[in-house]
Amino acid sequence: MTSDQGVVFDLGYQPHDGPRLGRRGAIFATVRDGIRRILGIRRKARKKVMPWVLFGIAIIPVIAVVGVSFFVEDIFTGVDNPFASHGNIFTITSSTFLIFTALAGPELLIPDRVEGVLSVYASRPMRVSDYLGARAIALAIAAGGFLVVPQFILYVGLASLDDDGWFSGLVSNAAELPKVFLAALFYLLAYGAPAFLVAMFAKRLGPAWGVYLAFMWLSSGFAVAITEATSGIWRYAALGALSVNPDIVMDWIFGRTTVREGLSGADLDPIWSVGIILGITAITWIVGLRKYRSLL
Amino acid sequence: MTSSPDGALIATSQLGHAYGDIVALHHLDFTVPAGRIGLVGANGAGKSTLIKVLLGILTPTEGTARVLGIGVADDPIAVRARVGYMPEESCLPLAQTAADFTVYAAELAGIPTKAARQRASDVLTLVGLHEERFRYLGEFSTGMKQRAMLAQAIVHDPDLVFLDEPTAGLDPEGRAEMLSLIGRLGDFGINVLVSSHVLTDIESTCDWVVMLDGGRVLRTGPLTGITGSDTVDVELLGNGAEVIAALQKRGAEVEVRGAVLRVRSSEDAFDLIRDALAESGAGMKRLSQSETSLEDIFLAAGGAE
Repeated sequence: MTSDQGVVFDLGYQPHDGPRLGRRGAIFATVRDGIRRILGIRRKARKKVMPWVLFGIAIIPVIAVVGVSFFVEDIFTGVDNPFASHGNIFTITSSTFLIFTALAGPELLIPDRVEGVLSVYASRPMRVSDYLGARAIALAIAAGGFLVVPQFILYVGLASLDDDGWFSGLVSNAAELPKVFLAALFYLLAYGAPAFLVAMFAKRLGPAWGVYLAFMWLSSGFAVAITEATSGIWRYAALGALSVNPDIVMDWIFGRTTVREGLSGADLDPIWSVGIILGITAITWIVGLRKYRSLL
Repeated sequence: MTSSPDGALIATSQLGHAYGDIVALHHLDFTVPAGRIGLVGANGAGKSTLIKVLLGILTPTEGTARVLGIGVADDPIAVRARVGYMPEESCLPLAQTAADFTVYAAELAGIPTKAARQRASDVLTLVGLHEERFRYLGEFSTGMKQRAMLAQAIVHDPDLVFLDEPTAGLDPEGRAEMLSLIGRLGDFGINVLVSSHVLTDIESTCDWVVMLDGGRVLRTGPLTGITGSDTVDVELLGNGAEVIAALQKRGAEVEVRGAVLRVRSSEDAFDLIRDALAESGAGMKRLSQSETSLEDIFLAAGGAE
């Protein structure tokens, strides 16, 4: 039967009879939202600029290193290329990564708290630890990608230069990958935890970025000054160099000996830096649970 | 509508909460059935605190609360899985579009992504934001933000939704539309607990009332039972002095409210008024059972002293 008159079907309100994923779904959604937020996905254009520019800054040197290595391959025949090493790439990208973390940590926590969005989480099946954990995982994925993607480009690039072929290169360098992931984890904890700590208390993004970067850089400046000017027990002040601690751990992981101006005189075992990084991470987690317990 | 096996939507027993030395809720004992519940009280009466305790955001300092038959302290996640919440303050991320945020709000409740997108679209249409769904929430007017907040509260099809001062900041037209939306929620099978200090809002949307004052329950019961009255109003033509005297002679209590006399008696007030009018020869303009407003009841019960 046909009609030249339109028919309006008012479906009214439709209840949801499908599955509900509970906490698992809530955590997954929070992680995905966090990654989108960090990278500015489904946000205004100005939210996308900084993360992607920083990502480009982190990638370009690696591409340059791989490219140069390709052209000067003959120079390093029989010896390790001193530039194209995973340790060097971490050193090159660490400063950019610090800025990336300065932006990402506050972006994950501050808007939710200041704009009252925590009230929405409070009416969903999730705990405080679920929320904070999901935000931390989002940071780990986005920031971890920031650290690992350049390393992966280097890994694949160097494999393509291998005399025995690309696949052989991948296999022979595969032992470096666990070290890359471990070093990336320590950079993530060392830079991410203080960024979260600042973000838990700051009310605006701009000041949070400034406080975080000043805190990370000034702590290292003070640590160097104290270490240089003193001796004995004061050498442990070197551990206050928060932005340098992951560099020290990374050198340790890759078996490198790098002279760090002012801090090398402290002559501390890298395990101390590991302890500081894990300690700050633990403190951040505890403070976060206490701080958010009354909000969520 | 969904409620607990014993029929109670919310039940509290000696429920109390204190912020340090400041006691916000005092030994609340009440039970409300499924439906549209009004939570009324002046600012600071404890309405928002009660809602936060029922959501499990705040921990009771004493007593217990059950929502949809689930102990809030025992399993707050189970309660949260079945409720929605529209807070008094804004809860919208200003850098997201209404569509994206509403989808996210559904996903946070465990709705799979595909279904969440469909529900978000439906609910934004329901609250009148379909045309505006791809605009950023930071660009919304107050009324649109309130609608978006209502959308996130119901997008996951909760059994019970808490609405904390949903008409705050709205102009008269926006208020009427919001109240109309709230009224429809009951038709969708969603139980509603509406908190408001505007008593007329509760009168127009709810069928059960809990009155709070100073953190204590003043009264609770069905709206018709509470506002029903044993008094009769009579509006007279001319001077009512003789009528008043005739009524008082017959043992009635008479309260003068401008041109209206409110008559209360242990006998049938209508009969007494008929006799008094006949005796005095006075004319009458209107005669009806008194309609007591929530405000009258609230004040009579000592609210907001």
